[in-house]
Amino acid sequence: MPEGILCNKTPVNTKEQLDAVLADKGGKKYYEEMKHLDVDVEKLQKSLQAGFKSRMRTWLEMCAHCGLCADTCFFYLANRKDPTQVPSYKILSTLGKIVKNNGKVDNAHMRYCMDVAWSKCTCCSRCGSFCPYGIDMGIMFGYLRGLCFSQGFVPWELKIGSGMHRIFHAQMDVTSEDWVETCEWMADEQQDEWPGLEIPVDKAGADLMYTLNAREPKHYPEDIAEAAILFHIAGENWTVPSEGWEQTSLTMFAGDWEGCKAQVQNVYAAIDRLKPKRVMGTECGHAHRATVIEGPYWVGRKDGRPPVPYLHYTEWVAEALRTGKIKIDPAKKIKVPVTLQDSCNYIRNYGLKDVTREIMSYLVEPGYFVEMTPSKEHNFCCGGGGGINGLGIYRPQRNMGLKVKRDQILATGCKLIVSPCHNCWDAIRDLEEVFELGIKQTFLKPLLIKMAIIPEHLKPKEEE
Amino acid sequence: MFYQFITGPLLWLSFGIFFIGLTVRVVNYIRGLDWQADRVAYRAHLSLGIKGALQSIIHWLVPFGSVGWRAKPLYTIIFFVFHIGLVVTPLFLQGHAVLLKERWGLNWPTIPMPLADLLTIGVIVGTVCLAIRRLALPEVRIVTTAYDYFLLLLTVTPFATGFLSVYQAPNPGDIANFWIYAHILSGELLLVAIPFTKLFHIVGYFLSRGQLGMDFGIKRGYKAKGGFAW
Repeated sequence: MPEGILCNKTPVNTKEQLDAVLADKGGKKYYEEMKHLDVDVEKLQKSLQAGFKSRMRTWLEMCAHCGLCADTCFFYLANRKDPTQVPSYKILSTLGKIVKNNGKVDNAHMRYCMDVAWSKCTCCSRCGSFCPYGIDMGIMFGYLRGLCFSQGFVPWELKIGSGMHRIFHAQMDVTSEDWVETCEWMADEQQDEWPGLEIPVDKAGADLMYTLNAREPKHYPEDIAEAAILFHIAGENWTVPSEGWEQTSLTMFAGDWEGCKAQVQNVYAAIDRLKPKRVMGTECGHAHRATVIEGPYWVGRKDGRPPVPYLHYTEWVAEALRTGKIKIDPAKKIKVPVTLQDSCNYIRNYGLKDVTREIMSYLVEPGYFVEMTPSKEHNFCCGGGGGINGLGIYRPQRNMGLKVKRDQILATGCKLIVSPCHNCWDAIRDLEEVFELGIKQTFLKPLLIKMAIIPEHLKPKEEE
Repeated sequence: MFYQFITGPLLWLSFGIFFIGLTVRVVNYIRGLDWQADRVAYRAHLSLGIKGALQSIIHWLVPFGSVGWRAKPLYTIIFFVFHIGLVVTPLFLQGHAVLLKERWGLNWPTIPMPLADLLTIGVIVGTVCLAIRRLALPEVRIVTTAYDYFLLLLTVTPFATGFLSVYQAPNPGDIANFWIYAHILSGELLLVAIPFTKLFHIVGYFLSRGQLGMDFGIKRGYKAKGGFAW
């Protein structure tokens, strides 16, 4: 059978297609169809010709097979040093074989590639920072995901995720109307406690445009309220766009490069329309990577930068604390041992390690902040990056991988973890569910709201 | 006659292939860089890129200079003993300098013979250690192929044969000057093989490390004070 009804080479572009794939609970039929999906060798060859250039070609060719990457990979460590988890083995046996055979590979190999690309690598790129040649297997697995996606070999949830972005310009079925209504609802809800609080939609020329994760309006709208409260306290002249508010990109996890481009264009179009001085995103790692770090390249911006300065949430928080826009009540500083989860996407792969530590210096009583080992750009992935958090068929592999983060956290002796990244947050929540360590974790927003000094004029007036 | 030929035309041919081959590889690599496919704005942020490239190259060129080297102290020692011997010995050996003096009248700097011996032994011992490592460690064994052993053999042969000829080891089968001939021929074979095998990393290292350094300098680490902490 060349193409399945659900599992095929065509991305999900219509509501009907999306509903059909969604109706196949857990992707049972979808994965069954995948077993019979043909490989379009000619298409693979063309992709290789167009995109597999000297940087990656040299990486694959030059790899000295030294094995130094082995224990840089948390999957390798978590799986009791299973040699098939060595990063170089993983990439050579997948992408390496496709390249060596010039695309002449079969269905079984493509399914193997899918398994490895999504359940044995989170594209955290830690291996790349430990390879003497600088061979970045995270980058190559990202590329392999693209090849897999174009051939229809993509996990069920990500076929859906890519479809969501293509249809709703968001990772979930949240329309612009839903989004704007959620903003109004959240602003209304806060009026008792925060009189005058606004969530300004489509305000042109604001100092700051805020973009976020569709899960916030869909599942925990209080996150939007928290963001608004902090902007309110800081006296920020801000706005959210009615369209182009979704910053995340399941298309990136899926390897759907066309979808990635459209997603970023949607955000950049909002920038173009509202002309904010700066933009910022929520506490999310991959959203930042997709929109700020990789996004400019997908849409073809030759300077590799977004159209206006685009801050990560932590950059804004550090600035607000530094300039005194938000002041922390010294009595409320954290006085228990606390550690910080460095997100791969904006620490290792963007360099915000100093910014997050600056924040901790404001929030934590001296002596209570404990670094993980290793930390900063050499930190391990939370175990849930690259989309694996959401993939049902790879849940056992994901849970196995969490062991490394668990041990890192245990070694700090902390019961509180600050994790300013949605994926890390989810992984650590699940880690607690699986291993029951008795740990708590938090985003920055609720912490800041608890600890900030509220300016008198913002407090509700006492009723006579 | 034979000696004249292998240290004359054949040597020239080997060097020719070596230099032209490597030049082609460097040019092809750089021409194959693509700002959009690699997602690194090489041209737009050239100075950030060069800074990043140099940092990345230098940290990894210095023994224990990178987090990666410090994580593997024993391997790092073997690696540097092996590589320093490989580069320094042939370049500054008195025996090689004599040839340059005789042929071109060039005064080439040299290292003392005992040091050259020590470095050569380092290369040979290093080769043995690397081979044992390939066999002993499961994480290395799984990626090791016969080709990897072949390259080790190809690399160590000129050093082992050179060492044996200097110390006038008995010639097998009574072939006069066996070891020196074996040394010259295996050295030439190595030169010719470099551009066509993984050994091209003698330039490839700088290209690949430099490229990733540019990636982190321009894009993935430019927000960190002092750049990426390699």
